[in-house]
Amino acid sequence: MSQQTLRVTRPTKIELIRLKKRVKVAKRLHKVLKDRLIILTQELIMLMKDAVELRQKVCDKVQECESLLIKSTPLIDPSLMESYAHTRYGKVEGIIGSRVVAGVRVPLIEVRREGKPRESPEYPILLILTSRCFEELLDLTARLGEIEASITRLGAEVARVKRRVNALENVLIPRMENTIKFLEFKFEEREREDKTRMKKVKQILARKEGTVSAST
Amino acid sequence: MERLLRDELKAVNYMLPKKRKSLKELLNEEYPHVPLRDGSTHMFRRSELQRACNVLGEELSGNLFLPIILEMRAELKEVVAEVGDPVAIKLICRILDINEPEKPPLRLYPVHLRVLRREIGTLLMYAISFRRALGEEF
Repeated sequence: MSQQTLRVTRPTKIELIRLKKRVKVAKRLHKVLKDRLIILTQELIMLMKDAVELRQKVCDKVQECESLLIKSTPLIDPSLMESYAHTRYGKVEGIIGSRVVAGVRVPLIEVRREGKPRESPEYPILLILTSRCFEELLDLTARLGEIEASITRLGAEVARVKRRVNALENVLIPRMENTIKFLEFKFEEREREDKTRMKKVKQILARKEGTVSAST
Repeated sequence: MERLLRDELKAVNYMLPKKRKSLKELLNEEYPHVPLRDGSTHMFRRSELQRACNVLGEELSGNLFLPIILEMRAELKEVVAEVGDPVAIKLICRILDINEPEKPPLRLYPVHLRVLRREIGTLLMYAISFRRALGEEF
């Protein structure tokens, strides 16, 4: 914690009042930032847990898809495979948008398919199973991409907010409080000096009055 | 210092929706979204909208306004979210499989939020209640 004080141009009461107000605002800001930091951190932890889980799922899915592809390649004509991949759905589109999580803009990635898949008995079952597997893999990858991009953005925001919280907690607020203490000491000292000065003046006046009354 | 505080308050609440839309309305849109105060948009995942519609039924889907605003309270060490909208409370309780509270608000803890984020993550939005955090003058 910082032991330094702020540089005050003139140690006046106005300056002290102004500083006290600033401390009040700084403490409020600190509370808001800390609340936000808790929310962001919690969101970040949840996303990280999801990302770890999803990454494992994607790895498993890739292995499953590859084994299915290895099995189906020698049996199915590549041109049929390609044409089926193109015509399985009427339309497949990737939608990229954004959403907001605790004041941070994060991406939203969605794969949207139109209609039902063409899975008639005229196509080999292995081909259908392979395409189903790749379809799931595509969904999982899109979701993983979304989560990982969100983690990066939330992480950056957490770092920014944390920096501000630390600066307020360890530097700005202690410095202002130290300055307030210093100013208060200074005023007390000035008051004490004034009192002793007044006493002295009183004594001198009393002495003068005494000599005047004695001479008369 | 005041400017910093104002900016910080803006950062969270500037991204709240300008206008909320009903679930029914959103399901009819090609790209379901709501405009935000900062001029950008917040998109919803269609599968989540569909899930909410299935849980609530056709009748209530016109009364659910999205996104659901979760008022965050970080007074304790753990963050607690509060929901005041009765239809949103119904939806959340059905998804979480918990009893509805006798009187709103419904309080949600991180365990609940984790489930909700998975099920209807894009339908939720966080708002920090500054009146509680800062006192009445803000």
